[in-house]
Amino acid sequence: MSFYETLYIVDPNLENNSLEKTMNEIGKELEKTKSKIINHRIWAKKRLAYSIERHKYGSYILLQFEGGDQQKMVEYDTWMRLNNSVLRHMTVLLNDKPEIYVEEKKPESESEEQILKESSDKEQLSDPVDTSDPEHKENESDDEKTTELKEAE
Amino acid sequence: MAFQSRNKFCFFKENGISEIDYKDVKLLRRFVNDQGKIMPRRVTGTSAKMHRKLVRAIKRSRSIALMPYVERGTD
Repeated sequence: MSFYETLYIVDPNLENNSLEKTMNEIGKELEKTKSKIINHRIWAKKRLAYSIERHKYGSYILLQFEGGDQQKMVEYDTWMRLNNSVLRHMTVLLNDKPEIYVEEKKPESESEEQILKESSDKEQLSDPVDTSDPEHKENESDDEKTTELKEAE
Repeated sequence: MAFQSRNKFCFFKENGISEIDYKDVKLLRRFVNDQGKIMPRRVTGTSAKMHRKLVRAIKRSRSIALMPYVERGTD
């Protein structure tokens, strides 16, 4: 299965509650496509390079998932477009499996850093890299585009 | 001597970068001019392969408002 990433912008003035609500809604809509959500988090609050619907700032939310039903994914895309709380969204095909995001903590001492390193090493060991048909993946990476959602594998 | 040209090199090959992320605006900013236009390969010295990837990344980040389509002097 291929991995995808949706980056979408919502109104930054939303309160935390309503922000969570929209995130939940979007997550539920995506689950209709039988995709597995890997990461769903607020990426950053940024100034937009150009104003969208008269908004100068926006909260960027990153959603990484393992693709499900291709036809349903098109429906999900349309749903996102019609969703008024989403200013803009974009889904992109990923080359590799995205890593599970853990909130970064500033290490206070060296010992803590080492622990973090060790734990990450263990994670790598326990999670072997998917080596099935790498050629196929390379081909995909060459012409990845947002429109490829519609393409059946 | 006065007209000796600088040696051009591919930024990505030099730094061992093989994939360009469209979210990395700081990196992409190096390859557009102050109007927000993508700089040509003959100026930046980027290899053809990486330039294609670069262009894709810049266009993506434009469409999600991380980078401008056009940059004007004052906002």
